[in-house]
Amino acid sequence: MEKKIGAYLCSGCGIGEALDVKALEGVVSKEFKKPVKSHECLCGEAGLAVIKADMEAGDVTLPVIGACSPRVMTDRFMLPGMTPIRANLREQVIWSHPAGDEDTQMMAEDNMRMMMTMATKVNQPVPFTEGEFSTTILVVGGGYAGLTAASEASKAGHDVLLVEKKAALGGNAAGYASIVPSKPPYHDPQPNPLPKLIEGVNATKSIRVITGATVAKTSGMPGKFEVELSDGSTHTVGAIILATGFRPYDATKLSHLGYGASPDIVTNVEMEAKLKAGKVTTKAGSSPKAVAFIQCAGSRDPNHLPYCSSVCCSVSLKQAIELTKADPETMVYVIYEEMRTPGTTEEFYRSAQEAGVIFMKGKATKVENGSGITVTVADELLQQDVPLGPLDMVVLATGMVPNSTDPDAPAQEYGAELLTADINPYPAEGDYKPEPSVPPGGPLLNLQYRQGPHLPMLADGFSDSHYICFPYETRRTGIYACGPVRRPMDMGEVHEDAMGAVLKSIQVIRNAAQGHAVHPRVGDLSYPKINLNACTKCRRCTVECPFGAIDENEKDYPVVNPTRCRRCGTCMGACPVRTISFDNYTVEMLSSMVKAVNIPDEDEEKPRILVIACENDAYPALDMAGIAKHQYSPFIRILPVRCLGSMSLLLISDALSSGYDGVILMGCKPGDDYQCHFVKGSAMAKERLSKISETLKSMQLEVERVTMVDASIADGARLPKVIDELVAKIDAVGPNPFKGF
Amino acid sequence: MTISPTPKRAYDLNFARYVYENIDGGERLRMCMQCGACSGSCPIGKQMDHGPRKLFMMIRAGMKEAVLTSNTIWNCVSCYNCVVRCPRKVPITYILHDLAYLAVQEGYEPAKKADNARFAKAFWWSAAKYGRTDERLVTGKYYFSFGIGEGIKRGLGNQAIALNMIKTKRMHLGMPHAIKAKDELQKILAKAAEIQERHGKGA
Amino acid sequence: MSDKPKSQTVLVVGGGIGGISAALEAAECGSEVVLIEKAPTLGGRVAALNRYFPKMCHPTCGLEINYQRIKKNPRIKVFTMAEVSGISGAAGDYTVTVTTTPRFVTPACTACGDCATAATSEVADPFNYNLSKVKAAYLPHSMAFPMRYIVDASVVGTPEGQAIKAACKVGAVDLDEKSDSFTLSVGAVVWATGWRPYDPNKLTMYRYDEIADVITNVEMERLASHDGPTHGKVLRPSNGEAPKKVALIQCAGSRDLNHLAYCSRICCLASMKHAAYVREQYPEAEVDIYYIDIRAHDKLEAFYRKAKADQGIRWIKSKPSRIEKGPNGEPVVCGENTLSRDVYANAYDLVVLATGMQASAQPPAGAEMDEYGFVVSEEGVFGAGVATGPLDVSMSVQSATAAALRAVQAVRS
Repeated sequence: MEKKIGAYLCSGCGIGEALDVKALEGVVSKEFKKPVKSHECLCGEAGLAVIKADMEAGDVTLPVIGACSPRVMTDRFMLPGMTPIRANLREQVIWSHPAGDEDTQMMAEDNMRMMMTMATKVNQPVPFTEGEFSTTILVVGGGYAGLTAASEASKAGHDVLLVEKKAALGGNAAGYASIVPSKPPYHDPQPNPLPKLIEGVNATKSIRVITGATVAKTSGMPGKFEVELSDGSTHTVGAIILATGFRPYDATKLSHLGYGASPDIVTNVEMEAKLKAGKVTTKAGSSPKAVAFIQCAGSRDPNHLPYCSSVCCSVSLKQAIELTKADPETMVYVIYEEMRTPGTTEEFYRSAQEAGVIFMKGKATKVENGSGITVTVADELLQQDVPLGPLDMVVLATGMVPNSTDPDAPAQEYGAELLTADINPYPAEGDYKPEPSVPPGGPLLNLQYRQGPHLPMLADGFSDSHYICFPYETRRTGIYACGPVRRPMDMGEVHEDAMGAVLKSIQVIRNAAQGHAVHPRVGDLSYPKINLNACTKCRRCTVECPFGAIDENEKDYPVVNPTRCRRCGTCMGACPVRTISFDNYTVEMLSSMVKAVNIPDEDEEKPRILVIACENDAYPALDMAGIAKHQYSPFIRILPVRCLGSMSLLLISDALSSGYDGVILMGCKPGDDYQCHFVKGSAMAKERLSKISETLKSMQLEVERVTMVDASIADGARLPKVIDELVAKIDAVGPNPFKGF
Repeated sequence: MTISPTPKRAYDLNFARYVYENIDGGERLRMCMQCGACSGSCPIGKQMDHGPRKLFMMIRAGMKEAVLTSNTIWNCVSCYNCVVRCPRKVPITYILHDLAYLAVQEGYEPAKKADNARFAKAFWWSAAKYGRTDERLVTGKYYFSFGIGEGIKRGLGNQAIALNMIKTKRMHLGMPHAIKAKDELQKILAKAAEIQERHGKGA
Repeated sequence: MSDKPKSQTVLVVGGGIGGISAALEAAECGSEVVLIEKAPTLGGRVAALNRYFPKMCHPTCGLEINYQRIKKNPRIKVFTMAEVSGISGAAGDYTVTVTTTPRFVTPACTACGDCATAATSEVADPFNYNLSKVKAAYLPHSMAFPMRYIVDASVVGTPEGQAIKAACKVGAVDLDEKSDSFTLSVGAVVWATGWRPYDPNKLTMYRYDEIADVITNVEMERLASHDGPTHGKVLRPSNGEAPKKVALIQCAGSRDLNHLAYCSRICCLASMKHAAYVREQYPEAEVDIYYIDIRAHDKLEAFYRKAKADQGIRWIKSKPSRIEKGPNGEPVVCGENTLSRDVYANAYDLVVLATGMQASAQPPAGAEMDEYGFVVSEEGVFGAGVATGPLDVSMSVQSATAAALRAVQAVRS
């Protein structure tokens, strides 16, 4: 269908009083030769009727609406056909600049020019829906998390392929005598739900279980993953759940806590096995009369695991309770530094106290094995070193190491540098200089991705999301980790987590089949298209994509996997030859929008500064500056981008060569606690910007003209000040000599 | 009367378990999480050598001698601030008082000498003998428990107060008041002693 | 459960981060979702937080993404100022009665703000926990969703109310609006009603009502927020001055059989965040954290480590027994340091009580809950977020995602 653009200007909310709407109409009709109408309240029924009438008559297919921010009235302006383009005349013009002012008017007119230009460049995206899409969910790992995921996915109507490395299902949980309570009254250990779960999975026809196998290779994308197993079989699946669990921390590294010195110094895993066997005895065969648990055996220790393994406190409580149940005379001690029983688990702590378990706050400084075991405790509450003993047994509460790698698979050099994000939350402390701790081993899924075989993990080795609001965010779309491979968690939490991962899998399968993006640009139908004729095979797009969506073919040309793509545009920003574009988002479009602005002559003393703003944070912050009526320089022109990562340096040189006096980039904070919702978009922008000085030098321009600002959504009060300062700074450098060329 | 066991090593729980089972309120002592709300609430917490919180940890640690010779068990003024604030509902006041009783029973020196113990004895002597507490006799008995010289000194030291009490009829100089059926009281007390003997302390 | 659910619609009760997440996750799987919220805007408790631990990022950032997702998803219907007043039926076939409170502003509102300009009186601002005032016609806050004003009931029937009505050029002020109710047919209910802070007045020993400079952790969030009553400056409520010595008291209500028997999970970490607010704004200020156990689970240990590395923060293992009023009206925190056995009385400029989380609303009759009022039901009505127990934001969203799956499973025909 032919694209027919029509502009609609709203004069409500004070726009009509603050601006010369007639003149704005003139911009559209004279400069763009497009129809334009004004209304006193476009979002009202009468106003909408004006737009609808034109659309129904076939006069307009793409409305450009000059009114409030695109962040509001979205639902009302959601009209059949192409998504309307919105020029922000309210929040970012009249609410943040003086009414009736010449500069405010110029700002509004330029806004219209930018959005009219966008309308001429934008195309209705054609979604990727080629070929067959699988709705099967692959679950890797047959422990409690994987079994739960398989069972819940089948209850939601999906076929499941469950792959377990060991010969039998069950994983770590198979060894549990009982579990920490997750149901009221949270007072007593609960029976292990695993046997029943295994029974259920085995009885479910829609779940195919393959044991004794691992994933040899994974390629493809959401809806069309091609998976090859170690048994040689191949399978097409729509989504993958990684539920490979954890391995207990290697106790042989805990010789300072006596491990290895006596068979009666055991780990919590070994104690659990004794409980499961039904009788806890010492090596000599007697029932222990005095047992001490040493908490944080490895965890929270810079020399071992820097993190808290979360479950060890409650697991020790459970084992201590079981020991006192078996023999109330047994003296049970828990040596702890911080008792961590969050939420209703506090009730379980009280339950152990009721059972008579003694809690000693302090560090176990020495474990000696003589006639009985003696643990020296630096008892913080008694303020003295206490020799605790003779003890019949000592239990080391060892922590969790995530199975984010397969310890039995050979490590692969390739892609190791891309394993962890560019973060390390553990600050250096004295001699302690922490490195990201990647658990030793090879890849689990062996992804045949340009960016390596692993599912990326955080610095502590867990395959967790970096986002607080979005715990299932993944850097490999369609692959969701759950259970202890994602975060240390107890069985109750594992159950919830597995359900969450199933939901996300169902969602990605559905969206992929419809050509929709998943979070955060849900429903976006566009995806990157690469004109290979112009491609120089520089590989920047394949390396910089935050989600590993672009591979390389045998001729080193980039290949986009559309359903892996999250539509941030980082590839587009990376491409030095502007050959990557989306149907509705291109470098050319952004460049044309930048150039659409009227640049006044030098002697008019009206500088123009381009603000390239992240759509999710900086742009809303500028809206909120408007809502609060904070005023800022009218010399800026705001260009919203999907992510600062989609900003090409060429856009900056285009701006400067067309006469802008400066450019301000507003993106999310990069670095350890990065806040970019496309993982490293803003980091990439910063990286690119570090090379801008060369560009500026070649244009003989001052470096002060281009600045990147970390902006958060809460900066509504701060950004106006930042803008004014930078405008003053750029103004002080003087006008851009390219003006008028 | 059973004597509480004496632990032979640190954190031998025999004494703690004796306390759980035999001391008034002792079974809740297990629940103490060492937050310090009790010792911090105590109006005379600074005068206590250990304070209730640490004392409870010492019980767990098997420090029987230190516990029963502690001034903490004697200094409690029963204000109950700690009890109402204890997040684990430990009846701290009861426990301290009963530990004091245990210390007396087991003949610990500080228990013999403790001010409160002397006063309690004088109080009990009067109550048991007359069925009432007579201020003059209780005070006298208490003062003279320190020796004759000290008794006279303390008595004279409080002369002014005594005179004022007489004037306001809070104290009298005649025969001590007594209840009518003293023999009935004796029977009741004898019965109570018998029950206590039969069930052990704290029944 | 009956073999086939009669209704395929999912009702989500509560529009905080838990409810929003549950609604979106279900809708993005293709379910029809009705999301109801009793406040005038979505966002719940997190909208009133300044930053999240451990990233120190702003909650509104995630809310913005989620609001965009809602705005673009025709399968989600949102009702604000609406509450469930009755549920009947069974799993797969519920009839839910929803009662609305008048906003006195219709959906025609353009959020232009003319009504607020016309308003002359002020009312306590609930968004700022009543620490400040707002005009009687107001936008709940600058990130409100829906972006719509509300007229306070106090001006209805007054000349001011008429002036407010007259000021609205689009006729969106309706002072005759009455409480209304309607019914919905739904197949599953996600109960995501969240939490409220434990009432500090019940902690009589901390004298919250008597001493101005004793505040709660949720109030601290507002003080530190750029759109809060002090525009982001942490100031003493008594005199508006910068605090030099600040105490953060953990377990103010939590882990206490006289108050909340459970641990509220987030307070330790939130307090470390509060210490960071103070230390960022006033590098010379001293912060004392009073605690029983520091609970920083999994990778949040790193946040604790970071806080411990700050020399300006002192860690005092002690549950303060009480707060006294000092000679100048300042709070004096009293208690016993359990590691040194010192009985202390420390004067502060500002004391923040880390009050715990309490379940905010009772689930509908028949839905199983624990003795604390947290939802544990697994049939027909599913708990999500803090309605199921004290959780941090990430765990709430995880729980909400699981609840969304339960709902999707339940309405599958």
